[in-house]
Amino acid sequence: MIPLLVLWARIDQRHANATSLVAIIPIAIAAVPIYYFQKGTPQVDFRLALFLVIGSVVGAYIGARALKLIPERPLRYVVAAVMVLVGVRQILIP
Amino acid sequence: MSWLDAGAILGGFVAGLLSGTIGIGGGLAFVPILTIAFRTTQIVAQGTSLAAIVPTAVVGGVTHIRQGNVDRDAAVWTGLGGVGGAVAGALIAVHVAGPLLARIFGALLIVSAAVMWRRAGAAEAPSSPPTKADL
Repeated sequence: MIPLLVLWARIDQRHANATSLVAIIPIAIAAVPIYYFQKGTPQVDFRLALFLVIGSVVGAYIGARALKLIPERPLRYVVAAVMVLVGVRQILIP
Repeated sequence: MSWLDAGAILGGFVAGLLSGTIGIGGGLAFVPILTIAFRTTQIVAQGTSLAAIVPTAVVGGVTHIRQGNVDRDAAVWTGLGGVGGAVAGALIAVHVAGPLLARIFGALLIVSAAVMWRRAGAAEAPSSPPTKADL
């Protein structure tokens, strides 16, 4: 979603990062029931999700407040670098 | 609460921090944490990350809106368009082999990152330094 916003809609990196986080709310809500109900056994571990959320809501609040401190260009390089790292890892050790 | 649960909270905090700053959703942050540290399958990692990202994105998103970081029109159309894509994607994902899914996801990320990196040189001048009011 971030590449879509930055490359196609030409939105600056800060607004793209924030906007993608807002836009993902309905997307995640729509997708979770499919992972839960589509197969015989639920493909969602809600207990694990609960503990992740306890940490992540605090992190998300601090991160969102800190975003304005980071200039546009370094922000874009960091986003691209993280995407490459995760992408390479996903390909090598799927 | 076990050490593993405490690890999930710590991992969640790091993922939340990344989520709030660089706007990544569950796929980039939670999925690697779940598959590497918690040894879940790719498909369970994706389903669990989607469940975890809902409250994370609500907290991060509301904070971003209050900070004036959100392009509301873009949020509406990417959100609505994304719902259709997510439903189709999730229906495909639960029936596709995990390793293949992970590799497709990885390749998409690298291609997108390469284009973003190339265009970063042409990005506008760095934004003005933050003021105390920004915080």
